[in-house]
Amino acid sequence: MGDDMSNNPNGQKKPKVIAIYGKGGIGKSSTASNVAAACADEGYKVMIIGCDPKSDSSITLLGGKRIPTILDLIRSGVEITENDVVFEGYNGVKCVEVGGPEPGIGCAGRGIIVAIQKLKKISTAQDICDLVIYDVPGDIVCGGFVAPIRKGLVSEAYVLTSGEYMPLYAANNICRGLSKINTPLSGVICNARNVSREEEIVSKFAEEIGSELISFIPKEQIVQDCERDGFSVMEKAPDSEIAQVYRNLARAIMSRNRSVMVKALEDERLRELTR
Amino acid sequence: MDKNKDKVKVKKEISIIHPRPSSIVAALYTLRDLNVDVAILHGPPGCSFKHARLLEEDGIHVVTTSLDENGFVFGGHDELVALLEKVSEMFDPKLIGIVGTCVSMIIGEELHDAVLEANPDVPVIEVEVHAGYRNNTKGVLLALESALDSGIISENEFDRQKDLLEEATMVEKRHGAASKEYLAPSRGDLKYKIAQRIIDLLKEGKRGIVIMNAKKETGYMFADITVAVNEIAKQLGVGSNIINMANLDATLGLPRVRHHAKCIMDDLEERGIVIHENIGGLDEYPIAGNVAGKLIEEKYSDYDFAVITGVPHAIPMDSISGMEIISVTNGPRQVLPLKEMGHKYVIVEIDLHPKTLGINHIVESEFGATLREVAKEV
Repeated sequence: MGDDMSNNPNGQKKPKVIAIYGKGGIGKSSTASNVAAACADEGYKVMIIGCDPKSDSSITLLGGKRIPTILDLIRSGVEITENDVVFEGYNGVKCVEVGGPEPGIGCAGRGIIVAIQKLKKISTAQDICDLVIYDVPGDIVCGGFVAPIRKGLVSEAYVLTSGEYMPLYAANNICRGLSKINTPLSGVICNARNVSREEEIVSKFAEEIGSELISFIPKEQIVQDCERDGFSVMEKAPDSEIAQVYRNLARAIMSRNRSVMVKALEDERLRELTR
Repeated sequence: MDKNKDKVKVKKEISIIHPRPSSIVAALYTLRDLNVDVAILHGPPGCSFKHARLLEEDGIHVVTTSLDENGFVFGGHDELVALLEKVSEMFDPKLIGIVGTCVSMIIGEELHDAVLEANPDVPVIEVEVHAGYRNNTKGVLLALESALDSGIISENEFDRQKDLLEEATMVEKRHGAASKEYLAPSRGDLKYKIAQRIIDLLKEGKRGIVIMNAKKETGYMFADITVAVNEIAKQLGVGSNIINMANLDATLGLPRVRHHAKCIMDDLEERGIVIHENIGGLDEYPIAGNVAGKLIEEKYSDYDFAVITGVPHAIPMDSISGMEIISVTNGPRQVLPLKEMGHKYVIVEIDLHPKTLGINHIVESEFGATLREVAKEV
């Protein structure tokens, strides 16, 4: 529709730029795309930037279709403009995929750094959004994977976990990483796997690291079903209970202005917590 | 109880802040000594540029896969395969070397996969090396290991080289560029003053030892100092007061290194210079100093002065501490350690190395030229 700066009534306001961290496979991309869709439904301008070399962050916002990635285009050597890499998905959500090498080749971390720098250069879409979500890979195995934070692009970090031991362990580790790079945490989100005392465990974990549980997303088959068809829950099943959960989470994120430096738990304490 | 615990105080490695020779470059020079026709640097275009250029002067082709930002992210396998094919066509090499770089090693490039795919019909020495090793001799070792694997060198030669490298590392740690956290470069003492001093010593009838303990091709220039001192001694009628030692055994080392020893020896012979004591091969500079030391103790301990060129810090001080020592190095950071060892005068042949590449005759040194000039006025 050709939105430009002059049409943006909140030209002054800085967009809320968030990243959701968590163990691989825990549901970061599902959560990110549903939150993006929910915020778009609320009338916010939203952008999602997929930083996983698998390029699957925005797929459910685009009806199951893939878009060209920034790195693929850089590699092909063509001149790149905003229109080549920023695509509109469900309800106007702007979708970008960083892309990256095949598994086991090259350096995906460097890829993220190169791609987000390129994006910053060619696109102003982020500036006119209300919410920008960086969907980052779960394991922060090298500097490149925290580049969105390090380069000062991300203003709020969230951690996603279930009540299982390993995802909590990863979440705790991420908290350690965040405090190492002086980045506060804005909240913990639980994506449930239906394990015993799940909400209690994650809530306690969030409290003990100094943060809080801002949403408990129950495990619902419908999320899977929608994804299999290539859609978010917000688009395919807007009247479901789970859609309401995402809507509430979206509101919580948009209204949130509290973030704290967290302190990771000792391994022993973490184990106690999950027993 | 544990006696060793008290006895062996583990010396903490110092953290050295002045830049030092690179393992990648060391691997490149080793490939040259192994007589490769082409060396491929698998990495960014500017990596090791200056030395790559020098090596081209020395007659080998050095090329690069020129990895860019895309290569860093997506890997450089295809680029390496393509370059292997291209150099095979362009230069018709008999032996090819591939050298890793920091970036290609960090992203996990498999040099061997590319070789298998390009499948050149000549042997390829693959060196998985980066510049992040504490001692640059690691680059030499990695190149030699790979050469051993591909049957280019014998087990015996490999073992010999390995021992030499360990010694070379120790020499640098004891009194060389790895001996201090920071060594400022220095130009050393003024050449004409030292030239005058040598002439005075000769005029006084003092007896001197000229020791060349050179590293490989640098001998082409350090030998000129041996020649100059001998010429002047002869001119002053005291030629027999000089004893010459040099590491010029042409039966030792990799093929190219032996060739250098023979060329220098031939030149010396032609100029009527006698090497009284041949103290080892041109790659034996880390141990030839000990040979020289022993010979001095046995035969020349009453000599008055010593002119030591090449790697002067490898000559043990015990054997020469009673003499007036004049040393010549090509390392500006070597001046301070040599002075601290007790060398009275230290002079630097700046930019020696580039002038000793691609040649097979002795070339004039700045100090040699200074000696000859000052001697004219005598």
